[in-house]
Amino acid sequence: MRRVAVTGLGVVSPLGHSVDALFNDLLAGRSGVRRLAPFLCERLESPIGAAVEFDGSAHFAVPRLKMLDRVTQFALVAVAQALAAAGIDFAAEDRSRCGVCVGTGMGGAAATDEGYDVLYAQRSQRLKPYTVLAAMHNAPAAWIAIDHGLSGPNLTFSTACSSSAVALGEAARRIRLGEADLMIAGGSEAPLTYGALSAWEALRTLATMDRSDPSASCRPFSRNRSGLVLGEGAAFVVLEEFERAVRRGALIHAELAGYGLSTDHEHITRPTVAGQAAAMRAALASAALPPEAIGYVNAHGTGTLQNDAVETAALKEVLDAKVRGLPVSSTKSTHGHLLGAAGALEFVISVLALERGVAPPTMHLDAPDPACDLDYCAGAPRRELRLEAVMSNSFAFGGTNAVLIARRA
Amino acid sequence: MTTLETLQDLLIAEHGLTREQLTPDAELSALGIDSLGFVDLLFQIEDRFAIQIPGDNPSNLVRISDVVTYIDSLRARAAPSESPSAGT
Repeated sequence: MRRVAVTGLGVVSPLGHSVDALFNDLLAGRSGVRRLAPFLCERLESPIGAAVEFDGSAHFAVPRLKMLDRVTQFALVAVAQALAAAGIDFAAEDRSRCGVCVGTGMGGAAATDEGYDVLYAQRSQRLKPYTVLAAMHNAPAAWIAIDHGLSGPNLTFSTACSSSAVALGEAARRIRLGEADLMIAGGSEAPLTYGALSAWEALRTLATMDRSDPSASCRPFSRNRSGLVLGEGAAFVVLEEFERAVRRGALIHAELAGYGLSTDHEHITRPTVAGQAAAMRAALASAALPPEAIGYVNAHGTGTLQNDAVETAALKEVLDAKVRGLPVSSTKSTHGHLLGAAGALEFVISVLALERGVAPPTMHLDAPDPACDLDYCAGAPRRELRLEAVMSNSFAFGGTNAVLIARRA
Repeated sequence: MTTLETLQDLLIAEHGLTREQLTPDAELSALGIDSLGFVDLLFQIEDRFAIQIPGDNPSNLVRISDVVTYIDSLRARAAPSESPSAGT
């Protein structure tokens, strides 16, 4: 079976628009969570989110800009970073062997929101002609292929919060199976619209705003955790067949060595220890690694009561995490939950942790929960780790559990 | 400001074109305005000139000058119904 190298990383995140800015902020414990715009503050119970500072017009000219929802703009900027970092020149590639896999949970949420506003609030029928093209979930993947002339597989996955972990895993499978030599894979999400935020609020899963410090509202694994905080952004990686990456002298950040899937089929939102554990075991089997090879886990760690306790139990069951003192962290505490982009962003963070031997902290974990009793790197990074392999967990409403493993190249 | 100048301003702002490109005989397709861009342009014309483009989209507009003539015809058609209130 062919191996898969990670040769380029790109991010547009609430913590910065480069992997170095992102990782520095993570280690410093800086939070990207903040109060949202006044319009949203007036209407939402908990008006917080991890927003990206981003001006699309700085990256795209009209008229093209009008066709690109924020979710696609994020994706294209993150992809450009990843390709530049990987040193890819598609003019020298067989583009039929190059493809794209993208994960997104909500697609062009702003285009959808604006369309409904025109129809229902303004009672007008003057919908923008680009509404469908901007809102469709596969717009980011399509534009990536158009921009770079890629005629290999072009796929979009929408499995809620595991969408982009699935995108990375499925892209890696294409390379492993010899169906492609290079895949651009990642996720993008831009859900901080009034409509999407309201829908999430109605589900009663969002964190209550910490009125004294809104940036500390997301508290994974803490007894006083109250839910997740939505975030936006994109993260992409360049995946290549390993030997080809070696031949061209590419900087190989890691090997994407393992990918495991399972499904929680009992309930539309409730996770199970058995389901999460099964995905972790499947990832280990796919990487042909024993549990003790994993030296750091970037947890799904949403900050909801249910997930964090269940994930803790699954980590104990599969990785013996409690006994081994395995460093685990939820970086969602500062970059928020990027939904369909979360898996890709957290995989990038896991790769950086692997390369740099540093586990980023879980912030705002100030009240230990007896049900969450692992080493969560609370409040400060864990440095000088000798990491051979790391795991990134992504679990989803709808039940699609996806686990990725990166191994030192 | 003439219809042509207003249309030129619109195309510069909304379609990223330059005034030099926007001669009366320039063809829309050569300016990169494809079928989707054309639908978008019709919306913008409605807003900018405060006119309503009737039913089916016009298909015989090839050059900038065709668009100018079309806009002027719609404005002329709209004008009589507005005239009673003019000057009051």
